[in-house]
Amino acid sequence: MKNRIKVERAIHDMTQADLAEKIGVSRQSINAIEKAKYVPSAVLALKIARFFEKPVESIFFLEESE
Amino acid sequence: MSIMRTNYLLPHKYKTIGWILFVLGLISGIILFIGDYEIDILQVKVLSIFNEESLFGEKPGFFKIIKNSIVDELIALTIIIGGLLVGFTKEKVEDEFIYRLRTDSLVWALLFNCFVLILTILFVYNFTFLHVMIFNMFTPLVFFIIRFNFLKFKSDSHEE
Repeated sequence: MKNRIKVERAIHDMTQADLAEKIGVSRQSINAIEKAKYVPSAVLALKIARFFEKPVESIFFLEESE
Repeated sequence: MSIMRTNYLLPHKYKTIGWILFVLGLISGIILFIGDYEIDILQVKVLSIFNEESLFGEKPGFFKIIKNSIVDELIALTIIIGGLLVGFTKEKVEDEFIYRLRTDSLVWALLFNCFVLILTILFVYNFTFLHVMIFNMFTPLVFFIIRFNFLKFKSDSHEE
């Protein structure tokens, strides 16, 4: 699963630490999700989407093979 | 996060004391090992559930009170309790990813420990193997803690 969290962060001018604090997760989590090393739970994906006020599909996408 | 099933984790505040016990235990354990476990201080009467006939003239039997230096017992307990506190207290920010790192590290530690054990069974013999068995009481916990902290450190490094 790919995502555009980094882009969204840039739009909101936020660091990974800022976003982690707003969502209530660790900095490591945001880092790992951004690098697509960790697929967040549905709850966490929805929380991130809600924070950016966008539908979850516009932040997280399936890859071709998925 | 409220949905995290972390009911076996202790509060974060115990982590510091865990590290202190763990490191102190490991250091004194290594000192004891270098000294060939030859320590006679802290001789205390203890309850032995089963005692084999020993070199010191004790008869074998169940549930006997014997004299024993409890230095090695104290060190072993310090390492294990300290290690458990380090590995099983919450992180400052505990979330699903940290939980994943912890369980992944546990699996990795068990497999790695078995791998090392297989090698030592094959290539270490006689009395030296006894040392391996003594180390093996602590290595699963030690490997777990090293792996968990390594993964945490790795995923924390350098933004952008």
